[in-house]
Amino acid sequence: MREFTLQELARFDARDGRPAYVAYNGRVYDVSESFLWRGARHQAMHRAGEDLTEAMRLAPHGPEFLEGFPIVGVIKGGERDA
Amino acid sequence: MAKVAREMVERAGVDVDTLLELLVKNAAAELTTYYYYTILRANLIGLQGESLKEIAEVARVEDRNHFEVLVPRIYELGGRLPGDMVEFHNLSACPPARLPEDPTDVMAILKVLVEAERCAVRGYTQICDMTAGKDHRTYDLALAILNEEIEHESWFSEFLGEGPSGHFMRRGETSPFVSKFLR
Repeated sequence: MREFTLQELARFDARDGRPAYVAYNGRVYDVSESFLWRGARHQAMHRAGEDLTEAMRLAPHGPEFLEGFPIVGVIKGGERDA
Repeated sequence: MAKVAREMVERAGVDVDTLLELLVKNAAAELTTYYYYTILRANLIGLQGESLKEIAEVARVEDRNHFEVLVPRIYELGGRLPGDMVEFHNLSACPPARLPEDPTDVMAILKVLVEAERCAVRGYTQICDMTAGKDHRTYDLALAILNEEIEHESWFSEFLGEGPSGHFMRRGETSPFVSKFLR
């Protein structure tokens, strides 16, 4: 499975035809097809290309909302956005 | 725009532009839900479907009321609505509550309804969290809407048999929590 650094992840921001990826708990998800990630942003607060591990603690939903999306990689060496 | 009202909210530490974006997204969710619920309601037929029609109709009308009360607050805070309806639809805070592939599947319709309400409950909880103790007017409004969305969720959830029933259909007028903003 592909490994991403946080810098590499940040490139997947849905601009210029790139897909929209986000990370959670070390896994990288492709959310390009999600209605709620249209425009590469989610609920006015989150952008594609971000590690959402910390943000999820404050979200009004749990990580189960990412479960339906394809996992396209992992964050390198367990690196996290703290 | 209510200039001082916005300034007070900013001074309290609220990111007003983010709040406005959330209010517009939730206003879009309410109006699009009103539209999609119109279709769902029309398809609630037969012995099972007809028993749901009344609460689907109340939820539909109350969601439209939520749109109506959100709009003035958006303008008070200096925001605006998109000029294009397609853009407005596509920035909704919740996915479209589309009619299921099999429109005779009442349970599938019920699941669409409950998921739409759950999305709304999450959205207004977030707005309440963001504004509590800081933006009193938006908080009061979001809390009133949240109260109605929680009741909608409960109605549909109980029809799904997810737990004992603690809620009953509206007696009297719709929007008992939001009506003070509609006057």
